[in-house]
Amino acid sequence: MAENNFRALQSANKSKTYFLLASMGLLTWLVAYAALTYFGTGTTSTIVPLAVGIALVGVWGSYYGSDKLVITMTGAKVIQREDAPELFNVIEEVVIASGLPMPKVAIVEDRAPNAFATGRNPEHALIAFTTRILEVMDRDELQGVIAHEMSHVANRDTLVSAVAATTAGAIAILSDFLTRMMWFGGGRDRDRDNNGNPIALVLSLVILILAPIAALLLKSAISRKREALADATAVSFTRNPAGLRKALEVLAADSTVVHAKSNAVAHIWIESPLDGKSVSKLFSTHPPIEERIATLRAMESLGPAGK
Amino acid sequence: MKYIVIGVIALVILFVVAQYNRLVRLNITVDEAFAQIEVQLKRRADLIPNLVETVKGYAKHEQGTFDAVVAARAKATSASTVADVAAADGAVTTALRGLLAVAEAYPDLKASANFLSLQEELSTTENKVSFSRQFYNDNVRSLNTAVKTVPTSFFAGLAKVSARQFYEVENAADRNVPNVKF
Repeated sequence: MAENNFRALQSANKSKTYFLLASMGLLTWLVAYAALTYFGTGTTSTIVPLAVGIALVGVWGSYYGSDKLVITMTGAKVIQREDAPELFNVIEEVVIASGLPMPKVAIVEDRAPNAFATGRNPEHALIAFTTRILEVMDRDELQGVIAHEMSHVANRDTLVSAVAATTAGAIAILSDFLTRMMWFGGGRDRDRDNNGNPIALVLSLVILILAPIAALLLKSAISRKREALADATAVSFTRNPAGLRKALEVLAADSTVVHAKSNAVAHIWIESPLDGKSVSKLFSTHPPIEERIATLRAMESLGPAGK
Repeated sequence: MKYIVIGVIALVILFVVAQYNRLVRLNITVDEAFAQIEVQLKRRADLIPNLVETVKGYAKHEQGTFDAVVAARAKATSASTVADVAAADGAVTTALRGLLAVAEAYPDLKASANFLSLQEELSTTENKVSFSRQFYNDNVRSLNTAVKTVPTSFFAGLAKVSARQFYEVENAADRNVPNVKF
């Protein structure tokens, strides 16, 4: 597949996401099973649907209104063509290359160069840029950034992260409920299972305690795969890995972080807005920027892929 | 036993419908992608008279270059098949490159606000033309693959879908046009 390297990268990242999402499912099942072993059917049959329900309501509410919610959280302002004709020109170019509908465009007043995309489907997509990124990037670099954001739209990453957040949330709530119940009200159900295998009981306890951490790790891993996938898809749109590579180099050289930073929306930016040192690699939402630059550089050396 | 037979028939029907729809969908996407190329070519054609007039204001003695651009534009507006449109497109690109090379020799022209805004319009339109070509060719590739590979190939006749022509422009350096710096 050397001829079309970005296609190979795209499919590799896609299958890795499926694998990670499947692991999430497996983890949920494991937690439910552990709860069943530990507490018996009585409690479990009410607690599991309750936890999944709470997580569903919370995450899917924000998924459905993701464009509006993110605008509020980041202070982005939606702009029209007249406000930035040149930016719109470049966006329209990428829109044509991707075959997607034209997204809404927003600006965030911020001294850090960054960008993000959101929206529940391509028809409700929104891409936002900080004022700084528009100042520091030339046309080619901006095209790369826009292509990366449009790739998130094309790959429906808002949906993927909503699914990941729902499962991670459900597991966290579930494990929280159950560990509390162990100290307080869970006794009666347990009596019935007392003659069960003690090893199975200890094992379920360990699963319940470790599951939320595992879920968080899986969620971050999914986010990293989606970022890598968006880089590959961006190249399939522009056929110009150099543009995005230079853009990432500009971002890497700039140490300013987005002022309106919040853990809750960290995953949506093109470059992680959180201070790199405080977040360990396993929990980070983005692959290391040097790694992304190296991948793009490798694609450049393959020469222009077929038109 | 009866239910199994009904089930198998239902599955076969669903399969055929899915293949048929996939082919028809791919074919429609190719049509849309070609329409997009034409939209962008039309845009570029609309920019040309204005651009020629602006350059003329500063460079009166380049009549040959102007004529070449106008002739290429006229030819492009009458083309209709994929091969003709692509050939005319290539001719316009070459002629425009000549015009911009002329502009290079006139510093006053290069500095004029009108020329600068036209130049931005032209770069973005060139990019759009090139991306719409790329999108068209990607879709032709998917359609042609579907038409020629099993199982979709069995239904191509039924769906009246056949392999389509790629949009090929003579000059391979076209991709670099918008990056020309003045």
